[in-house]
Amino acid sequence: MPINIPQRKAVIQDIKSRGGMVAAVLPIHYPRALLRAFNIFPVEVWGPPRVDVSLGGSQLQSYVCAIVQNALSFIKMGALEIADLILIPHTCDSLQGLTSLLIDMVKPPSPVFPLYLPRGRREEDVIFLAEELQSLYAGLAELTGRRPTDAELLAAIAREELCDQLSGRLYEQRQTLGLGNLDFYRLLRSREYLPAEEFAALAESALAVEAAPLPGTPLLLSGILPEPMMVLDLIEEMKGLVVADDFAGCGRRLYRPGLSPEPFRRLAESLVAAPPDPTRGNAIGDRVQFLVEMAAKTYARGVIFYEVKFCEPELFDLPELRAALKERGLVSLHIEVDINNPLPQQTATRIGAFLEMLNH
Amino acid sequence: MTIINSLKYYWNVKLTGQPFLAWQRRQAESHPKISARWRSDILSPPLKIAARTRELISRHYLEGRYAAGHRPVAWVTSGAPVEILQALGFYILYPENHGALCGVRGAVVELSGAAENAGYSTDICSYARTDIGSVLSGKTPVGRLPPPDLLLACTNICQTVLHWYRVLARHFQVPLILIDTPFVYSKLAEHSLEYVKIQLENSIPAAERAAGRKLDYRRLKEIVQLSKDATELWQEIINRGHQRPAPLSVFDQFIHMAPIVEMRGQKATVDFYAALLKELDENIANGIGAVRNERKRLLWDNLPIWYRLRYFAEYLGEHGICVVASTYTNAWGELAPFMNTQKPLAAIARTYISPILNQGTGYKLATMQRMVTEFQLDGIILHSDRSCKPYSIGQIEQRNRLIQEFDIPALLLEADHDDPRAYAEAQVASRLAAFVEMLDD
Ligand code: SF4
Ligand code: SF4
Repeated sequence: MPINIPQRKAVIQDIKSRGGMVAAVLPIHYPRALLRAFNIFPVEVWGPPRVDVSLGGSQLQSYVCAIVQNALSFIKMGALEIADLILIPHTCDSLQGLTSLLIDMVKPPSPVFPLYLPRGRREEDVIFLAEELQSLYAGLAELTGRRPTDAELLAAIAREELCDQLSGRLYEQRQTLGLGNLDFYRLLRSREYLPAEEFAALAESALAVEAAPLPGTPLLLSGILPEPMMVLDLIEEMKGLVVADDFAGCGRRLYRPGLSPEPFRRLAESLVAAPPDPTRGNAIGDRVQFLVEMAAKTYARGVIFYEVKFCEPELFDLPELRAALKERGLVSLHIEVDINNPLPQQTATRIGAFLEMLNH
Repeated sequence: MTIINSLKYYWNVKLTGQPFLAWQRRQAESHPKISARWRSDILSPPLKIAARTRELISRHYLEGRYAAGHRPVAWVTSGAPVEILQALGFYILYPENHGALCGVRGAVVELSGAAENAGYSTDICSYARTDIGSVLSGKTPVGRLPPPDLLLACTNICQTVLHWYRVLARHFQVPLILIDTPFVYSKLAEHSLEYVKIQLENSIPAAERAAGRKLDYRRLKEIVQLSKDATELWQEIINRGHQRPAPLSVFDQFIHMAPIVEMRGQKATVDFYAALLKELDENIANGIGAVRNERKRLLWDNLPIWYRLRYFAEYLGEHGICVVASTYTNAWGELAPFMNTQKPLAAIARTYISPILNQGTGYKLATMQRMVTEFQLDGIILHSDRSCKPYSIGQIEQRNRLIQEFDIPALLLEADHDDPRAYAEAQVASRLAAFVEMLDD
């Protein structure tokens, strides 16, 4: 059953017409609830397609990934002027560079808020992140003139935690939702711009369906994001079924709730304990374990590492990760993509050959 | 630690190796020879201190060859707070410095190739590729590297080092201490500083376990003092470039900076830089400049191109151009004021969160503008280093503003600091030639 997902543009217009503010948020991890408590609606910017890349290219070298190139182009096109602020989590050297460039040089009309994410999972990392979130709160309070109470923060946290839980259930029931690869990811990724309430309603209606298990060779995807999204259709055409993923934008954001009743600490606990992600400094061993468990749970037969060109955080782990998975009987394929171009025929052929191999 | 290893260490390092290296250095000092390839027509004779630099670097790697099983060994990132490890008696290896040495000796293509054959992409930093290739193949131009008992990664230069050290930690199966230093976009936040300090405090037990001894805080203070002394001397050395003609070029600095990077906190390093400063002062008194006929003065931004140091020194020297200052070498001196021995951990935290690479692109632009004035510069070469995104992103705009707002010629050169395969010989030569011509206009 096709799902009726509102368009991003319409959602933004609706938010604005209701007096809400919009935060353009760059990848990857950030506290949605903190923004919502200020009546700020996060709309994520993952290197949008169809931008004039030459705009970013005039200030960024060609060896910077397309997500960053596109984001800068998008900002320079004026496409983010609708946003009341830009939030950029500290994800990698390239996004760090972009943030700095925006703050010191480009100076877009909307204020830029950086957010440092600690690279460890120690108690000191949680304490630091809780303080970093408080400092973001102070900045947002100055921008909006509001000061949400702890109760308001906790209510926003509860809404997002419900969405996290629903996203987790979508993955659990993935094979009986009756959704093809593309529809499943369109639904999941709608959370990149939908308010929590709307996403929750969509997710619940999808979860209410109980369809016959989908056919196809079960496989996992890993990387930053499934773009260009045509890869999902392509996999389906080749009789592959994406049963779960380790995408930074999807599976790695299945946050568990924090434990603390104190809102900042609770948000920090949840972000720090998220599934392993190289951009948050997780050890390779944690990632191996995560992928192996995911494959066991979903009966996946192989992994496609679907990577954005020039993404160092992903590239460093790959050899060890693939070797460790192979030792545990999980074969993998590594593909690098340029998210601005359609998939080349050669990539399609390699995916086809990989799926064929999995079937024998 | 075993007696056999200690005996080997004393025999090979203390009894034979070091005396031999000292003898070699004395020979070089008493009978200075200038290589036939040295362009004496355009460059002044090499600094006398060069023999001592060679000795110090050789001693360092010689010790490394025999350190395993005798001393605890730590591998650390170039901006890591090493004072605690120094005080605990670690032998400290800097894979980035080793990578630079491999670059100078032309070993990068082979070593990086070993990493690439194992699946590491050519799109990751060439220092990391060189190091991982050296680890996987066991090859190095310095004979042998001691395996680490401990790894220390500090994110104050880039996030790349953490990814790289995660690979090393998995390979060697040793503990990795992370000192995470939040990036300073505009103002250093108190909670960031406190975070670094707490990590330093919490790292001590793990470092003590790997060292097999307790940290002596008196010794730590002495080491912080030695680091501060060496760093201050290095800054003075760099500042001698204010003189006309400049007594040393950045190509000299790139070579003589090895001790300030990999031997901070040692008495020998302080003595070395005191001697270098003395030699520079003598040269200044005698009117000797690094480039014989210095007409123009430049700034270098970003890492050196290790495999082309000589080419740049000679090509620019031929045109009477001396590159007298660099944001890169300056980074090792500008932190001296933050070091103090009263509250060593707080001082270490402040020092190591503040390097230029951990600060915004506007700070770097302001540093370049200040250097242009202080060193009376005529132009800037910005090396856009394919490997080093944290240093390179922002350079295009920095160059534009230097040209527009500071009215100073600035050239952006695409290359890679260690991997010669990313260096387009003809293209660099023609862009450099056009730039030199423009300087004369
Ligand atoms: S794709 Fe990789 S390099 Fe690019 S912004 Fe994302 S994490 Fe950073
Ligand atoms: S060259 Fe740049 S990216 Fe590589 S280790 Fe050094 S600072 Fe990091």
